[in-house]
Amino acid sequence: MFIKLLKYDLKYMIKNMSVFYILSLFFAITTRLLFSLNETVMIKIISQISVGCMFAMIANTLINTIMRSWIRFRDSIYKDEAYLTHTLPVTKNDIYNSKFIQTLIFFIISFVVIIISLFITYYTKERWMMLKDYIGMITTGLDFNTTIFVISFITIIFLEIFNAIQCGFLGIILGYKKNNNKIGFSVVFGFVAYLLSQSMVLLLVFIVGLFDSSIMSLFENNILLDVHSFKILVILSIVLYIFIIGLMSIICKKEFNKGVNIE
Amino acid sequence: MEFTFDNNIPIYIQVLEYMKIYLISGVFKCGEKLPSVREFATTFKVNPNTMQRALAELESMNLIYTERTNGKYVTKDTKLISKLKDEYATTLAKSYFEGMKRIGLGKADSIKYLEGIEE
Amino acid sequence: MELLEIKNLTKSFDNKNILEDINLKISSGKIIGLLGKNGAGKTTLIKLINDLLTKTEGEILIKGKNIGVESKKVISYLPERTYLNKQMKVSEVIDYFKDFYDNFDADKARKLLKDLGLDVNQKISKMSKGMQEKVGLVLVMSRNADLYILDEPLGGVDPATRDYILDTILSNFNENASVIISTHLISDIERILDEVIFIDKGKIILQSDADKLRKKEKLSIDEIFRRMFKCS
Repeated sequence: MFIKLLKYDLKYMIKNMSVFYILSLFFAITTRLLFSLNETVMIKIISQISVGCMFAMIANTLINTIMRSWIRFRDSIYKDEAYLTHTLPVTKNDIYNSKFIQTLIFFIISFVVIIISLFITYYTKERWMMLKDYIGMITTGLDFNTTIFVISFITIIFLEIFNAIQCGFLGIILGYKKNNNKIGFSVVFGFVAYLLSQSMVLLLVFIVGLFDSSIMSLFENNILLDVHSFKILVILSIVLYIFIIGLMSIICKKEFNKGVNIE
Repeated sequence: MEFTFDNNIPIYIQVLEYMKIYLISGVFKCGEKLPSVREFATTFKVNPNTMQRALAELESMNLIYTERTNGKYVTKDTKLISKLKDEYATTLAKSYFEGMKRIGLGKADSIKYLEGIEE
Repeated sequence: MELLEIKNLTKSFDNKNILEDINLKISSGKIIGLLGKNGAGKTTLIKLINDLLTKTEGEILIKGKNIGVESKKVISYLPERTYLNKQMKVSEVIDYFKDFYDNFDADKARKLLKDLGLDVNQKISKMSKGMQEKVGLVLVMSRNADLYILDEPLGGVDPATRDYILDTILSNFNENASVIISTHLISDIERILDEVIFIDKGKIILQSDADKLRKKEKLSIDEIFRRMFKCS
């Protein structure tokens, strides 16, 4: 049943997201083609517009992934469609998990589309080398493998935003328990959940710091992190974010399982 | 035939009346197998339970009988049907005469009116 | 075991009781009218049975079990509003039902839709409200469920459609199933009812066999209802 739910959730997202993916890639390719043409004033102006469009679409892709996940969550669980969702012979956990996985999948796709779009627009061998050198400069200073550094960096950003999306889900679940101004409460609860999750990460880092003095130095003034603790911190953040996301999803499901009140 | 029901009277009693007319007029003949409860319910556009109740009533009057597993049949007793017909006709006649009496006409006059009606 | 049993059910919002101490037993093979004025609590009760509201107190048992996946398998519910995803075509909704409900008979649904002259390739959003309601009813009646719950199925339909809906209900529920129909339009529907439940101000006032009630009061259910709840 979970797979069937996921199928319909993914279908919905494809319908709503594909236009942004196509437009992002379209403007990326157009920009690339325009760059390769002779540099007349006219072409320059058009390609600048095209670059603008590409960035606008990238931004749209990102914002829509987040917003659509929330809207989809709210609509199918608390709006008219809820009449269907909650009368299907499926568990509440399946309903939640399906939304969770759907969000995860589309967040990954959007991330990839954004990176590909940027790559298509700007890739040249020289620039690639430049970027590599630049990152290399940082990473060698930190005694880090470049690839691992980039992957960790992206992973942390990814987990961070994903955590924010899930905090939005919790906000919606709690907000819709209220009898009025459900959306207002959802925003407030979502924001509070986000702040709490962030403080929790910080708190956990602090707790680890109690056992590792180099991590503790983060919380002391004017002391730069040494190379060793930076590595630990990166790994720690990834682990902690995954932990927080898991914990948050358990809280969401627990609250969700207490039942809903559909208008 | 269009069935109309008066909501003030139990529906099964009204269905029962329709069924009696069916039996008297020979729509269903003596010994003939009756359609299922469900089919009847669909024709009368009533609840199968209501239909079931009407049929049970007919059965208690011995007008129909149930053969285990095979369904319901009209009684083979022709006398019973004629008796029913007789009763029904008498009731109709009585109500006719009562109506005529109310407007001040006697039995003889009433019969004259009856004869005057062309079929 | 009763098909549906409700014990001491209470639902409140903001400390105000919308339903109070509801006790109810519904057995198989019956068509039951849930009758009450607008705002009497009919929809609240139905939504509680369908897990769309969370009870404050009491118990709701379907075949002896609490509301959950098993109860949802055997209850076929028609809400009082149009709830289908409007972006979908009718045929897609049929597939959706087929995907989730093992007891959904897609061929039957297609046949009934054809009888009604509805096009399965049409988008829900392109249909009139009346057409959407018919699609909803067809989908719900095409499930081989144990309990059908229809909330105001005769809401805003014309007399011809009303007759069609009643016929559809009569000819499509199987003998072991029960149907609960909520309505405030009693006279339209009372001829098909086995049992009636009167609900007023969040309380059950009466539950009785329809014909017995007629016999006792020598009045139609509609009239009995009107006299009982004469605008007070």
